[in-house]
Amino acid sequence: MRAFWILALTAAFASGSVVAEEPTLEELMRKIEALEERDRERQGRIENLETELRAAQALEEDEAREDDDERATPRPAATGAGPQADPLDPTPARMRARPMATGEVTSGTAFNPAISVILDGYYAHFSDHLDDPAGFDSGHSHAHGGHGHGIEEGFNLREAEVTFTGSVDPYFDMMVMAAISDHGIELEEAYITTRSLPQGLQVKAGKFFSDVGYINKQHPHDWFFVDQPWFRELIFGEEGLSETGVQLSWLAPFDSYTRFGVEVLEGSSDGVASYLGDSRHEMVTVLPGENNEPVRNRWRADKNLRDRDGPRLFTGFVKWAPDLGFDHAMQLGAFGGVSQVWQDETAHSSGRLETWDGDSQFVGADLVYKYGRGGLMGHGNFVFQAEYALRERDVEFQSRQFTDFSNLVPTGPADDPDRRDQTWRQDAFYMQGVYGFAPRWNAGLRVDGAGLTNRAYDGGTDSLGRRGMREDLDASWRYSGQVTYAPTEFSRLRAQVSYNDIADGHDAWQFMLQFNMSLGVHGAHAF
Amino acid sequence: MKRLFLTLILLLASMAASAEVRVVATVPNMGMLAETVGGDAVHVTVLAPPDRDAHYLEARPSMMAALRRADLVVAVGAELEVGWLPAALQGAHNPNVQVGRQGYFEGAAQIDLIQVGLVADRAHGDVHPAGNPHYYFDPIRMGEVAQALAERLTDFAPDHADQFRANAREFAEQAAEHVERWQGMTEGAPGAVFYHKDVDYLAELMGIEILGYIEPLPGIPPTARHLSELVSSLRGEEGVILYADFQPSRGPEFVSRELGWWQQQLPNQVEIGADSDAYFDLINRWVEAFKP
Repeated sequence: MRAFWILALTAAFASGSVVAEEPTLEELMRKIEALEERDRERQGRIENLETELRAAQALEEDEAREDDDERATPRPAATGAGPQADPLDPTPARMRARPMATGEVTSGTAFNPAISVILDGYYAHFSDHLDDPAGFDSGHSHAHGGHGHGIEEGFNLREAEVTFTGSVDPYFDMMVMAAISDHGIELEEAYITTRSLPQGLQVKAGKFFSDVGYINKQHPHDWFFVDQPWFRELIFGEEGLSETGVQLSWLAPFDSYTRFGVEVLEGSSDGVASYLGDSRHEMVTVLPGENNEPVRNRWRADKNLRDRDGPRLFTGFVKWAPDLGFDHAMQLGAFGGVSQVWQDETAHSSGRLETWDGDSQFVGADLVYKYGRGGLMGHGNFVFQAEYALRERDVEFQSRQFTDFSNLVPTGPADDPDRRDQTWRQDAFYMQGVYGFAPRWNAGLRVDGAGLTNRAYDGGTDSLGRRGMREDLDASWRYSGQVTYAPTEFSRLRAQVSYNDIADGHDAWQFMLQFNMSLGVHGAHAF
Repeated sequence: MKRLFLTLILLLASMAASAEVRVVATVPNMGMLAETVGGDAVHVTVLAPPDRDAHYLEARPSMMAALRRADLVVAVGAELEVGWLPAALQGAHNPNVQVGRQGYFEGAAQIDLIQVGLVADRAHGDVHPAGNPHYYFDPIRMGEVAQALAERLTDFAPDHADQFRANAREFAEQAAEHVERWQGMTEGAPGAVFYHKDVDYLAELMGIEILGYIEPLPGIPPTARHLSELVSSLRGEEGVILYADFQPSRGPEFVSRELGWWQQQLPNQVEIGADSDAYFDLINRWVEAFKP
């Protein structure tokens, strides 16, 4: 190498273009040494880069050949969401604040609530207008305020979810989750749970997602898909069965996990417990007076809806999970509920007021199975879940037409021939499977069905229990596929395509891109 | 229906009548300790399998079912199980084993930990500000934990107090003897590279210099850059590479190839139901691997 530099320098001098003055031998040697030093550095850098390249290749093999090596299966990250790859909870289960009592070591968060922020944004494009599945358009046609989880086209920041969890004292835990969106701030959940009741009992009180089914109590960031299944949205309402009330549950002292629960709830969810209460329907007309001047006329009429203070909704559930070892977990559930009130109204600009007043009930079942072998970043994990619910609403329908605007006498409900009993019986189900096909990656398929049973009976039932005239509506289907990339347990990027096969409506494709990131310590979810 | 009811009553009665202290241990090493100290007076259930990283589990219904019926939870502590134990405890509906109650025992709270007070910032990886929770690789500290556990068990089965204390003492004495022998074995051993900070206690005890970790930061999978830096800084030195059975092997294998060092993958936990001999055997395997 030294010979090379001497040659090079000699050549440079020979050309006479480098320096005017003769350099001393000493200077030349210094230069050569400096150049050699630089060369060594470069050589070292190249060697380091080569090592890095080999390391990268070795690590790549690590992921690619992971299947061959049963022992080398560390870092689980639950399929899709979980920080950790154990089969069970899709949600990152992280640090919770705990009380500093006797004999435990914590890192000093004991007296502060654990705080987390989850940001959820998406872009959506539909090939056509999205219709509601036949028979399900009356249940949630009215915006009852607040933020919904319905997907809209374009760029959307769905919400920023801020969660506080912690122990109040030795007797209670508290959780407060607020969703901040363009619609303002809304309490998604805010409840306390007991931690010292005997005999396996636990009480939860406040505003919370009901424990019926499996996905109902999950927040959007827990879902494996951008949107929620029809099961949750159409049967219970856009925000699921989210209610204020009290839950009592009992964990039986059995070998296999067996939990029973009852809930006494206010009753306000659109799908099964919509409540309006009585109020007056008001209409203003402007008609020409004697001299053609506009005259405002106002009339009011009682809507004839029942007033009923809560609680109006009562639910029950049971969950059972056999012990299937460390790699598998399964939970089966059954649930049902009765709402003493289900009400709805539609005011038409023609002057017609339609009201529905009655009650509703539902039953259903849920299944979730998870497999996790502790693969690298969720690799090889599999989650299957399926739920079904059947809902029946028995209502009295009234249609009142205010025909004579000039003297503003409404056609009284008593005289209205259009007053009859109706019964709707409808169901919805979904099943989905999500598989971690590579470290950090998972893909899932979901089938939604709504209205497999989709009957409307007019005229209610007679004294013998026979139903009136029956109308059968068709079933609607939706097929969804998603791919998720989760660089760490705290961030997720997702693409989803859905095809909507809507009875009595357009078929439509939906394309969605989503990001979902979390900041801070997030309360661990129980399965 | 009547029969079902009777069965239920009998079941409950039989459970109440059981004399054994029902212990739920979070990991197999703590299960071994509970079994060793408690002897016949305890019935031990373990929540985590030996071949999984206890940092990365999640709460599952079977854990809750086990905790529901537990008299005493024996945890490693220092936030090792923080990702899943609090959730499992919350779902267990059992006030007696909640943190802070007599039925919750955390080994980390009974001893002095190393690496206490690191910055609690996720930019530094999965740090444990409370201290390094992997003390179960230190037989001396495990002996101290055993003696504290004996006292705690006494609250649940006072009749067996002498037995518990004797068992714990015996374990601690055995541990001390083994450690003395091992310290002779590792005389002049080279330094070691570990995957994670999980062997630090044992290395300290044996006077082994820790030359580096395969992970760039605790809980962060190895990157090519980190491994290349590690190799560059260690080239020409002597050492061994040791890591646990659930840790991925490609990183350690690469460093081993580059440096020409001996590398070995060893169990991190004893098998479920193993006794103290199996535990000392396990530690013995690591000690022997320090000086291959």
